[in-house]
Amino acid sequence: MSHAGTSGESPPAARRRRARPPQPQERAAREEAAEAAQEEAAEEEAAGERLRQLSIGDGDDDDREHNRMIRSQYRELISTVQQNREAMLNSKSNRLTEALEEANRLFDGVCRAREAALDAHFLVIASNIGKEKASELHSEMSAFDSTAFAEDLLTFMGINRTEVEETDESEDIPGGFLPTGAWQTIGEEAPKYFRRAPTFHYMMGSFKSEPPVPKQRIERQRKASRRKAERAMPAQLKKMEESHQEATEKEVERILRILQTHFEDDPNTPISFFDFVIDPNSFARTVENVFHVSFLTRDGLAKIKLDEDELPIIEPIKPSEGGEEEDSRAGARNQVVISLNQKEWKEIIETFQIREAMITPPYQATEEEMETE
Amino acid sequence: MSQRKRSKGLGCSQLPDGEDDFIPTQVERRSQEQLNQKVSELVQFLLVKDQKKIPIKRADILKNIIREYKDAYSEIIKRADRTLQEVFGLQLVEIDAKRHIYILINNLPCAQGELLCRGKEQEKMGLLLVILSFIFMKGNSVKDSALWEFLHLLRVYPGKQHGVFGDVRKLVTEEFVRQKYLETTAIPLTDPPEFKYQWGPRAEKETSKKDVLNFVAKMQGKDPKFWASQYSEANKATT
Repeated sequence: MSHAGTSGESPPAARRRRARPPQPQERAAREEAAEAAQEEAAEEEAAGERLRQLSIGDGDDDDREHNRMIRSQYRELISTVQQNREAMLNSKSNRLTEALEEANRLFDGVCRAREAALDAHFLVIASNIGKEKASELHSEMSAFDSTAFAEDLLTFMGINRTEVEETDESEDIPGGFLPTGAWQTIGEEAPKYFRRAPTFHYMMGSFKSEPPVPKQRIERQRKASRRKAERAMPAQLKKMEESHQEATEKEVERILRILQTHFEDDPNTPISFFDFVIDPNSFARTVENVFHVSFLTRDGLAKIKLDEDELPIIEPIKPSEGGEEEDSRAGARNQVVISLNQKEWKEIIETFQIREAMITPPYQATEEEMETE
Repeated sequence: MSQRKRSKGLGCSQLPDGEDDFIPTQVERRSQEQLNQKVSELVQFLLVKDQKKIPIKRADILKNIIREYKDAYSEIIKRADRTLQEVFGLQLVEIDAKRHIYILINNLPCAQGELLCRGKEQEKMGLLLVILSFIFMKGNSVKDSALWEFLHLLRVYPGKQHGVFGDVRKLVTEEFVRQKYLETTAIPLTDPPEFKYQWGPRAEKETSKKDVLNFVAKMQGKDPKFWASQYSEANKATT
């Protein structure tokens, strides 16, 4: 094709080219790109000429205002082109040509290097776009309609199409609702096309996997709550500080009272030790009872001795008797270790036919105590 | 495979560069048992490392498994690959001969109806397949803006949280790229910088242009030959 010498010639030449009969999209686009290239070449020549003619000088205020306007228009043009790059690349659009024509018009008003520099900047951008457009045509791929592909994919995914008003822009999203399992549908189809190694997982889980971490967290929480509990404790303890010490003492006192009560009913018959301490319902309480009774003997409030049948008996010691029995008490400062296991405990219950505990359990005691008192 | 280039005899020369501190004072005769032990460890290591589908580096293999058996590296790798093939039906493939990066792929043809991936993984594969198809049909390289424009049509938006995929932009630009399914390069002279997407080396190994073309054809209900140039390129690749 012949080069257009000056910018004045290009419009009619362009018109001639556009007058050709309508052709398939590709070729038209190719032509558009070629046109654009043509025009750019023409522009370049004209610009080169003008640059040579430029005079470097400030000029007066009107000029400055004029130049400022031109610069701002150029910048606007450049930003428009950059932002709408995709739209320009669209083979159907003429927007690149339009932008070039706009630049052409602007350049008529340029008389200084500063604006011309902007024009050159625009030229670089426009020619980049032109190059891309051309390379898209150069690719030997047969026309692939991505929009149609997308539509088919949506159909495959099971889209529910509803009637929606379409606006002018064809880039708008078509209406319709994608069901929730949409991507799952494609997901089931996809693995067939991949030779993807299935990921390896232990069936029963491995040893050193996640469980330890939550345990640590739980432990920390427990420790934290324990600490908090401890912090709360001192406040309570001050009030009930004596309770721990007293609890045993109270228990012992209570047992002493029970012992004395029973003895008062029948002062001459000493109580069998086993009858007294054994709780046929609970081995643990039996042991506790023995424990508490040991305090009584230690403090000299009760004594345990063997009767004629060599079975231990227990009886309270009255404080008034203290002086008389001093010798016997001093002599009787023996230590005895009583052992009792569950088997023996059961045998004793059997042998002595112990049906109920003489020492009532602590939480039941309140009622009984209230009754006796 | 590229890692079996050198013969067994040249023990030292197979070492990675920069490991000059290793001087074999004695060529220890590695017992078969010891080697087999290392092979088993390597197989386990590869299987576990593959869970995230991030390619495995040779440096990691050397550091964690091979260690003092560096001289037997290629032998161990070869045996591990054989074990993977014979026992698991997988294959160890080096996708980067320069940086020595490996992936595991499935050696067996994907049987119909087999659920080897689970839900979330499957959906990601679906998206990936769509993207790979788009890239191929558009000439093996697309600009990111074009890709997102296409995904728009499928209700997938880079800025918006997706119900299934979450942060899609991250999934595509980071996860798929790190797994080497996609490759992204910057386009020069663009401001703000733009990127273009192509198939990554893992995609090249795990699937083929022919498979992808078949997928597109199936979706659109057309014969693959409908797209003449893509069809010829796809068939060229397989032969």
